Parts: sequence; structure tokens; C-alpha cells
Amino acid sequence: MTSPQKDYYAVLGVARDASQEEIKRAYFSAAQKLHPDKNKAAGETELFLGVQQAYEALSNPQRRAQYDATLQPEKKPVLPYQHRIFCSRPSLMHMDEPQMLYVMLELETPEGARQTAAPPLNVCLVLDRSTSMQGEKMDIVKASAIQVLRNLRPQDILSVVAFSDRAEVIIPASYQQDRPRLEAKVQMIQASGATEMFQGLELGAKEVIRSLDSKRVNHIILLTDGHTYGDEEECLALSSKLAERGIGISCMGIGREWNDVFLDELSTRTGGSTAFIAQPSDIKRLLLEKFNALAQTFAEDITLEFSPSTGVDLAYAFRLQPDPSPIALESQLHLGSILQDASTSVLFEYIIRPEAVKSDSLTVLNGTLKVSIASHPFPVLPLRIHLKRPISSSLEVEPPPPKIVQALSRLMLYRMQERARKEVEDGNIDTATRQLQTLASNLLAQGERNLAQTILLEVSNLQQKSTLSEDGSKKIKYGTRALFLDSSKKEFVS
Amino acid sequence: MIICTNCQYKNVSGAVFCAECGAQLDGVETLVTQAITDEQIEEELKKKSSRPEPVAAPSNSWISLHLMDSGKILPLASRNEFTLGRLSEGQPIMPDIDLTPYQAYASGVSRLHAVVKREDNRVAVMDLGSSNGTYVNGRRLNPHTEESLSHGDIVALGKLKIQILLRNI
Repeated sequence: MTSPQKDYYAVLGVARDASQEEIKRAYFSAAQKLHPDKNKAAGETELFLGVQQAYEALSNPQRRAQYDATLQPEKKPVLPYQHRIFCSRPSLMHMDEPQMLYVMLELETPEGARQTAAPPLNVCLVLDRSTSMQGEKMDIVKASAIQVLRNLRPQDILSVVAFSDRAEVIIPASYQQDRPRLEAKVQMIQASGATEMFQGLELGAKEVIRSLDSKRVNHIILLTDGHTYGDEEECLALSSKLAERGIGISCMGIGREWNDVFLDELSTRTGGSTAFIAQPSDIKRLLLEKFNALAQTFAEDITLEFSPSTGVDLAYAFRLQPDPSPIALESQLHLGSILQDASTSVLFEYIIRPEAVKSDSLTVLNGTLKVSIASHPFPVLPLRIHLKRPISSSLEVEPPPPKIVQALSRLMLYRMQERARKEVEDGNIDTATRQLQTLASNLLAQGERNLAQTILLEVSNLQQKSTLSEDGSKKIKYGTRALFLDSSKKEFVS
Repeated sequence: MIICTNCQYKNVSGAVFCAECGAQLDGVETLVTQAITDEQIEEELKKKSSRPEPVAAPSNSWISLHLMDSGKILPLASRNEFTLGRLSEGQPIMPDIDLTPYQAYASGVSRLHAVVKREDNRVAVMDLGSSNGTYVNGRRLNPHTEESLSHGDIVALGKLKIQILLRNI
């Protein structure tokens, strides 16, 4: 053959040392996206045939070996994004008790790609219209949705679903041409009924899936002010399913009555996050900001899959920016997205048990990082991360990188709050009180007077009623999360 | 493990901040035993006995408080007596100098901890019955008894260390 050969590995978006299982999975997901029955865009049938051909060559070990022999040696793969890894310690130590290691992963859009056209959106707004939304909240939510509609670019797809104890499609997913008519439809949403979130989410998911496209940012934004009862498990299962298909969920909780623990879990499973809207008057600004952020996406659906190694436990993971949020600990971590003009950084806390530090080096993390980039024609090659640390017997003196220290100085405040909440749940009021007071004095030392006052107020609440107030506990949680943001953004939560 | 010097909580080795009180831990592992020679001990003792060089005091005040942990200097002027303590929610007690921004709570400073005053050519400190005591150069004072201060002395309110910088005395 004289024509330059196609790189089958690149076509499928797998590394050259990919296992048969990985090749199979990559083929199925590509085939799903490109199958001629589903996709009618020009050129996609050819892409599909290319994928078929690549899979035929690579799925059979014998044919794969033959093909590998003809391959040019691999050039250092050029990733379309930048990544950096920092560790809190240069080496581990031989010891008979557990030790801790912090790892920070930073991902960034390369300088040259920051000006690329913003990806088109495929977003569904899922709006709570239960009785509790009646009045000011419902009016502002409707006005905000209408503003979103007006801000859409011609290439964006938007759908709107409203739910109470049943759900209804207000605007089906499509390019939105006839805006005055759609605005009138949003205007007609009336608040009544109970809150059954699964109804709304399921219908919202259907709308997004109808236009599901890897060249778009596919996302669901849920606005609610209440608890859902009895269908939490279904919601979470749906969330996991959507995460697999690259659909993100962001939640916005209005006021004090919503279940922040549940919505956090629902959104973090997809790599999304939850925002706390204390005042209805903030709904519009925060919703529009969310849309702006989505339109700023460079890469989304970042996942880190890793094989566990004995004695090494990933104890905690937290996204420092953008959208500071804990990350759901599963075998596949959903880390969120990379924006065009800001880096994404995630901090991992590893607990390393004595049995893992017997030899002279340890693989802390052996994983694969995958991202999906809407503006990228081929699937992005996965990045193998193999993080190994030497193990020594001597004392280390090197201080952790300043970036990690800085991040931890804030993260420890957030985690103090998490622990205090846990103690309250377990009925250890005195311990929780002490922890909250320590948190408050740490905040005062950093000049965060408002948040510290809120906490001291909660402390007195805690001593009288042996529980935290709905309002206060949310303010403390999202307030300590907001410490990671630039000072210009902090005011939202205080 | 690393024992937090602030609250004695036992943190896992490799931790950077104390999980209990939030203080930054020093990177030294306490677990490893090291042989120490006599010379090293003597050197350490010498270091301990020599105290830090006083920082130059700002000019328009008779006394300045050098908060040794944060490096901040609070110059005090206009009055001859100042109470030190920390403001606390819902308490009517108002110290003249609120040390809250300098980790006062975590350091064990009482709401009304101590008073520094100037009389003629003498500057003195007096503990006001605080819970964790007032120390001058490491020695605990009896409450409600004045103790003379000289330039460079180190006063500790609980664990909050303050170096006294005096002018013209």
C-alpha cells in the first residue's frame, strides 16, 4: 500500500497499548454516535465506515499484530489540552502506620485554542413548579428562563421542562426560531402540586438525548426549592446513566427548604455542581452565568478511570476550580469540564496503608484520563497517568508545593464544616460545637467576618435546638466552598 | 503520625493541616528517633536562650505590640492603658484591643485577658484572671499582679505570643 495509512488507534481514540476490552468499548460508543440510522450530517457515514474498518483490524488479536507491525513508531501524542501533576511530598516513607499523600491535577486549554468558537449548546432547563414556588420565585424563574431564551445563539438548542407531581415539556428541544410564541408558553407555567423530581429529570433527559451530539455541550439544569420524596434512588440512577453518555447535570437550590446533600450527589455524579441561591433575586444572574460558563466550555466530561492498587485508598477528591465542589468517589471519577480561559484543578487525598510501602517504590495512581472536546473532529486520545513515588527510610524535609498548601488551607475549612455536620447527625453536639467554633476563629483569622458570624449564630442555634438550621447549614457549606473563588465572586453566597 | 502543636490532635503522617483545629503542621515527622550529640543540644539551648532581635518600633506610639506569629505590629498611642482580649458574640465585654484577627480564639486568649499600662517611666502588664494565663518571657504571672516590662520582652496570652516594643523608656 502506498497511500499513507490511517492510524486505526487514533480513529477509535484509544492508546496503542489499549486492551481488547477498551477497544470494544471505544468502538461501541463511536458506533452509537455515528451510526447512519441516527446521524445524517454530511461525512458522518464515511467516518462510521472508518470506525468499522478500524475495529475490524484491531478487534482480532492476530490482525492487530499484523497491523501493528506496519505502524510507524508512535510519535509523542500531542494532546489538545495541557496537564500538570503536583504531589505534596517527593517520596513516601517506610512506616508501620498509614500516611497521607495529596495529588493535584491541573488541566488547561492551550494558549492557541482559547479563541476557538464556543461550542453550541444542547441544554434542557428543568423547572420546579410545585406549590411552594408560587409567587415571587415562580415569576423570577419564568423571567430568567425567558432571558435565557433571548440570549441563545442561533446554533444553540434549548428545551424547557416543568414538573410538580407530573412533568410536561413546555418547549421541546430544537433550534428556537419563534421566540415570542415560546416566551408566551413559558409565561403560562403555573405553580401547583407536589415535588417529584424524577418526573422532571426523566423528561428533561429525554429532551437532551433527542439532540445528543458530541459536538455540543449536553447539559441539564435543574431549578428547585424543595425536597423530593421517595424517588431519590431513581434520580441518582438516572444521573449515573446520563454521566455515562456525557450529559452533565447542574442544580440550583432556591431558598432554604431544598435537600443540598441529595442535589450535590445528583450533580457530582455527572461532574456537575450545585449552587445555593439564597435570594430569589439572584436566580437570574446565576442562571445566566451558568449558561455563559457552559458556552465557554473547551473540553467536557473529563473522566478519570483508575485501577485500585492494594493499600492505596483515594479518601477524598475535590475540584478547586471552576465550580468548587467535592467529587463523587466511584471507580470512574467525573471531574467536570475545562473552560477556555481558566484552568481546572482537582485535589486528591490518598491514604497509604503500611502494606503498600514495603518495597522501594509505589504506584499511587494508574489511571486513564479521558476528555471530550466538542471542537475536535476525532475522539481525543486517552491520557495514561502513571504516578509513582519512591519510598525512602529517611526523613523528608521538602515542604509541599505552595499551590497545594494554598488549596489545602481552604479545603480544611470546608472539611471542618463537613465533619461538624456529620457530628450533628450523629448527635455529638459538643464536638460539633467545638469544631464550628474552631472553624469560625480560623475564618476570622482570614478576615472572613460575615461567614464567621453566620457560623457563631449557628453555634448558638445548635446549643438551643441540638440541630443546625436549614438555612445556616447551607450558608456555611456553600460559603466555605466559595472561599475557593476569586474575591469578586464571593458576595453571591454571603 | 504528626501531633499538632496547637491542639495535640494526632494527624496522619503527610497531613499538611491539622484536621482538628486547622493549624498548619510543620513537615517534620515525629515518629523517627534520631541520635542527638551533646554539641547539638548545647547549640539548641543557645538558640533557645537568645531571643529574637526586637523589630524597630513605629515612632508615634509609646508601645507597639509585635504579634510574633503573624508578624503584624500594632502601634498604640494616645492613652496610657489598654486592655487586651477578644470580642465575642453576645458578650458585653469590650477589650480595647481585639486580638480576634490573630487567632486569639485558637490561641486561648480570654475575652478580657490582660492590661498593659504606662505609669511615669514604667510599663507594666497585669493578668486579668484569664483562663489560660499570661506569661512574661515564659514565666506565668499571678493574676491581678503587675509585672514590669522592658523593650523586647515576650508576653504570651495563652499561646498568643506578643513581643513588647517600647520607645523612650
